[in-house]
Amino acid sequence: MAAVGEALGIGARTDRARRGPRRPGGARGAFGILFAPVTLLIVLFLVPFLIMVQMSVVKFPPRTDSGYTLDHYVEVVTNPLNPHIAWTTFTIATTAMIVMLLVALPLAYFMVFKAAKWELFLLLALVLADELAPVVKVYAWQVILGRNGILNWLIPGPPVEWLLYSSFAVILTLATTYITYTTIPIYAAMKAIEPATFEAATDLGAGWWQQARKILIPLAAPGIFVAMILVYIPMLTDFVTSDIVGGTGSYMMGQRVRDLILGEGNWGTGSALNFMLLAMSVLLSLGAYRLARLNKIDA
Amino acid sequence: MSADRGVNPAGEILVEAVTKRFGDVTAVNDVSITIPSGEFFSMLGPSGCGKTTTLRMIAGFEAPDAGRIVLQGADVTHVPPAKRNVNMVFQAYGLFPHMTVGENVAFGPRIKKWSRDETRERVAEAIRTVRLDGFEDRRPGQLSGGQQQRVALARALVNRPAALLLDEPLGALDLKLRKEMQLELKDLQQGTGTTFVYVTHDQEEAMTMSDRIAVMNGGVVEQLATPKELYQRPASAFVAGFIGTSNLIELRVDRRDGGLLTMDLGDGQRILAVDDEPGAGAGSRAVERATITVRPEWIKLSTGDVASRASHVGGTVVEVVYLGSVTQLIVLLPTGERLTVHRLNDEVGAEEPRPGQQVMLHWAAEHSYIVGSEAGAAEIAANVETPIAGVISS
Repeated sequence: MAAVGEALGIGARTDRARRGPRRPGGARGAFGILFAPVTLLIVLFLVPFLIMVQMSVVKFPPRTDSGYTLDHYVEVVTNPLNPHIAWTTFTIATTAMIVMLLVALPLAYFMVFKAAKWELFLLLALVLADELAPVVKVYAWQVILGRNGILNWLIPGPPVEWLLYSSFAVILTLATTYITYTTIPIYAAMKAIEPATFEAATDLGAGWWQQARKILIPLAAPGIFVAMILVYIPMLTDFVTSDIVGGTGSYMMGQRVRDLILGEGNWGTGSALNFMLLAMSVLLSLGAYRLARLNKIDA
Repeated sequence: MSADRGVNPAGEILVEAVTKRFGDVTAVNDVSITIPSGEFFSMLGPSGCGKTTTLRMIAGFEAPDAGRIVLQGADVTHVPPAKRNVNMVFQAYGLFPHMTVGENVAFGPRIKKWSRDETRERVAEAIRTVRLDGFEDRRPGQLSGGQQQRVALARALVNRPAALLLDEPLGALDLKLRKEMQLELKDLQQGTGTTFVYVTHDQEEAMTMSDRIAVMNGGVVEQLATPKELYQRPASAFVAGFIGTSNLIELRVDRRDGGLLTMDLGDGQRILAVDDEPGAGAGSRAVERATITVRPEWIKLSTGDVASRASHVGGTVVEVVYLGSVTQLIVLLPTGERLTVHRLNDEVGAEEPRPGQQVMLHWAAEHSYIVGSEAGAAEIAANVETPIAGVISS
């Protein structure tokens, strides 16, 4: 959940909240159990969120007594730079998502149905790969993709320039950063598929592509949607990756928000943009959730 | 068997000297079976006997290491499952949970790209055949186990296979439903005229439905015969023990004459068995010991004289168990063996023997079958290879 936490700013806090003091059970059990996490959520998530909303609508943030305005939202919508950044962010995140699905689907299928005794090993490897600190991973890619990096050392001829500080580098790094969160939900969905289902399909004449299209992917769909919710949102707001391995062509929304607030001190526009990103993420999640529900199998 | 061959080869299945190994384990060892078209054929045996492996080789999910599989006159040993005109019904059903009943049944026709009209017509017909009309739009998860089983049947039958291969299809159902489905399956088989190859470990299930049964053990066919023959004339001690309850008696051959093997127990008591080779005569071959079998219901309690061609032996009742339609007695013989005897409870207030009581037992020689003899070991082995010929001609 660490990745979601980074994105929404809640994961780490709720984790801490779960470990918080518990009141003994009894009749007030539910209240006792929920009191600490709910309080922490309010203090650490809802309050900053409300402050952010407030910043996006006051005239001269961070001063709150300067009157209200929607100018910051108008600025976000009318600034010609923003659609461009949004498009870059969307294409990079979507390409990385597609790359991850292309790896995760066969990988999860292999783990569930073919790996046998290697299944647990692969699962642990995936989890361990995620345990590595994200920033360390990003720097590792820098070493691999750089002008004098490992990859260029292996490729004969003059060094390939576009490997690092490019959209390619950002997509590759994002894809490897979130592969665990893409694979595990799909793996879990596939675990529920009865292996005889594929034998029955073979018996009825379906080839591997028909089986993948008509059996495997529809049955793994709930896992795919969960993976997309888990991964898409943090990618939309990621700024570390693009900072370290990205170039001028891969300037993303997360970086824009960071630069507006921390760089220019433009709290108003930064907050407005951040709020709109959050709203889009919520819409995306709801859409994915609905799709997953539609595909939910009646048990 | 040869009489059936050629009448309608549409669904005939030949399994010829097929062997399958998994690592060091020989799952199926040189098995040969001929299944004529339109037969309800069962493979029966304990788990690990090779019955499912044999079925999966017919279906094409396993490739034999030796021997060949012939379907409808064509060698399909190395033909993939989809290209064989047979369909399989799996123990776990393997239904597509995200599709409706109608879509499940239409899966095969759509893959085969039948016309829309033909698909609709045949799917409706298949659903009608298994009596699931009105359930077309439900999903498998909304159906009971028995209904799911019927969807699996319809999904296979809609392809009009030359043979339907069923791998313990009723294994997941409760006893009552299983009994109902057994009768339904038999009706379905007779109604469609499709060859059914049925794998089960439940001897009663196999007996109820099958035209013929191959009893398998340790990767070989112990006996292949009709249910009645299997019960009445088991070819081996294994078959006798696996099909119903049976007594095995070690026979010391004291005399061999009049077409009988006789063990004298003195005082007019004897145990008899019909000679396998009646023409051989006394002393022609030294059969010294034989294992014979007799069903519990053939053994009667006697009070007076018994026919000369009948076993006649005394013993002590050690256990009396009331089973409802029959009462089961365990009788200890002077030879040290225990016989299970079933007495039909067809009289109200009939007197019952009590434990400790001495009783005289008798049964006709024709009801004892030799399932093994020391000097005749080669002959028993021959029985296993050509079970029908071996058993019926004896």
